[in-house]
Amino acid sequence: MENTQGAAEGGGHIFTAPREWTRVHPISPLLGGWAVIAAVGTFWIERNLGGDDDEFLDLIFGRIAVLVGLAVGIAVIVIAAGYVSWWFHSFRLTDEAIEQRKGLLFKQFKQARLDRVQAVDVVQPLVGRLVGLAKLKIEVAGGTGSGIDLQYLRLAEAEAFRNELLARAGGAKLDRGAGADSGEGATDNPAAQQSHAPGIGGLQLAPSPGTARTWVAAAVERLLVAVPIKRTILSVLLSAGTIILAFIVVAGVTASIVASVLAAELDLIGIVFGGGAVGGAIAIFGWLAAALGQLNRGLNFKLGIAADGVRIAHGLLETTKQTIPPGRVQAVQFTQGLLWRKPDWWRVVINVAGYHEDPTKVSTLLPVGTRLEALTAMWSVLPDLGDPDPESMFSASLSGTGEDNGFINSPRSARWLDPWQWRRLGYKATDSALLIRSGWLGRVLIVVPHQRTQSLEISQGPLQRRLGLATVTVHSTPGPVKPVVRHLALADATALLEEQAARAAVWRRRQTTEQWLVAVGFDGESGDDVSK
Amino acid sequence: MTSISLEGVTWTPASSKLVTARIITVAIWMAPFVLAPTVFAIIFHPAWWWVSGGLLASAVWFAWLGYRSATAHAWCEREDDLLIKRGRIFRSITAVPYGRMQYVEVSSGPLARALGISSLQLHTAAASTSASLSGVPLAEADALRDRLSARGEARMAGL
Repeated sequence: MENTQGAAEGGGHIFTAPREWTRVHPISPLLGGWAVIAAVGTFWIERNLGGDDDEFLDLIFGRIAVLVGLAVGIAVIVIAAGYVSWWFHSFRLTDEAIEQRKGLLFKQFKQARLDRVQAVDVVQPLVGRLVGLAKLKIEVAGGTGSGIDLQYLRLAEAEAFRNELLARAGGAKLDRGAGADSGEGATDNPAAQQSHAPGIGGLQLAPSPGTARTWVAAAVERLLVAVPIKRTILSVLLSAGTIILAFIVVAGVTASIVASVLAAELDLIGIVFGGGAVGGAIAIFGWLAAALGQLNRGLNFKLGIAADGVRIAHGLLETTKQTIPPGRVQAVQFTQGLLWRKPDWWRVVINVAGYHEDPTKVSTLLPVGTRLEALTAMWSVLPDLGDPDPESMFSASLSGTGEDNGFINSPRSARWLDPWQWRRLGYKATDSALLIRSGWLGRVLIVVPHQRTQSLEISQGPLQRRLGLATVTVHSTPGPVKPVVRHLALADATALLEEQAARAAVWRRRQTTEQWLVAVGFDGESGDDVSK
Repeated sequence: MTSISLEGVTWTPASSKLVTARIITVAIWMAPFVLAPTVFAIIFHPAWWWVSGGLLASAVWFAWLGYRSATAHAWCEREDDLLIKRGRIFRSITAVPYGRMQYVEVSSGPLARALGISSLQLHTAAASTSASLSGVPLAEADALRDRLSARGEARMAGL
């Protein structure tokens, strides 16, 4: 087999997740922002405590030695502080949880239970890629700050940790076998390790060639969607921000031309022209920064599916590889701006408990994809749409209006409150999910699985009461998707509340365990050997 | 004018002490704003009476709103979930399933304790703040919390 051959050749290390308290990589404090802090600190001290600032150039050249000394001094202090906190920061993986210890003066102990793990991300910023280190971020269902961030580990160690963590969170029984309790990052007995290397329920888990050997191999991944670079760039250009920018630039140029033509002698022209040019430059820089940021995050987007969940990889300079285990996606939203209607592109974002930070950054399931790719993306998180013909039903829901496809729609009286969207507002309940439609120029479709419904609310303002309407909200975990059905007829809204509560109750009873491998019998204990 | 309502639901209204609590809170907050112009009117200029009169009228308005919303607050323990009704102008009914309640918190400030009521906060993964009961009589609050927790554990269904 390929593995033992490689082991015999290179005598290579097998990376395992540490069971004893381990520190992160020693050069981690050097990868922080000490250079920026040193530069900013030097500048600030010089400005406030330095002598006269009249002769700026004289100041720089005359005091260059002092400035350099100051910068180096600040850098050394920051790095030393970083090393002190590095010394006291350690982590380990136990049978039930991931534990992290931090802090010298204020000791912190964090424990993330494995069955509460919502997503695991391996992030490599640019400096990390240069030296082969990565950040490991574990998102847990809890408030902000309940996740665990490990900065930095060797890439192979981070992946070993992730694979083992996900296998255990799924419920696989991993047995370490003989002589394997060293617990440190690498063991030197590859032959013994490989013979006990676990699979998941007998499924073949061959690691892809070229990756480091980890004790639990990364589950084989099937690529579903890869977004081509051209489409990513085009999608950033065809966004609302670009249109606004183009408008500002055209308006600014026109204004300055008109002003200079109309009254060539007035001093006002100088002000208007200058103002227009500066405003235009600011707008262009702002747009460029935002667009480059978007491209940096979203380029090379790949969506795949594996035994341990949905795999999302993206990024140009900073690469991120996310793994979201099955059953952790709380709601899915599909949006299509007006400019994307012609190429029929859709953007898919999701709610995952624990992804509290920038929602645009981490909750995107598909930044831009065709209709078929959007359906594939949804299939990867919600395999059963509860309808005999999911493709055409879903496709029609994305762009339909009115009563198409069994959607329950807003009545005519809703046009007083929302004259543009009222035709499209509505919901449809399939056997396994609730579909909510809205949007006029920009179309929106939200899918909430019945099993992921938290609480429900029906609400009504005074105008809605007058018109006999009500709004139903399906509460979901914090995230970019907010499932709300607005302006339904009162009877429809009440029916939705009662029926959805009943459906959610039925689906709650079907939910057996958070450990997905146990739920389908692939944990190596229950059931037969599937690979034969 | 059709208002939201659910069939076959017997609502347990909030204690009438909640009305008292709301009115007292309004009085405490508005007292300095009403007294200061009154004092100015007596000492400085009668025109201040207009200001103090206006602020007094708004205080009465707030107290009226507090009364109306406190009397509209009610709840009902059903088979699988807890219904919470609130609001008069902006009405809402929230259904919180027992199986999704992460934990239940009982709290009461000094005014509430003096009046014999407390408030219950229900936490789900959705972190919605409208899942709270106010004006629960102290004697009932602990019993209600224990009932909710017991039902929650019996039906607990993960996240």
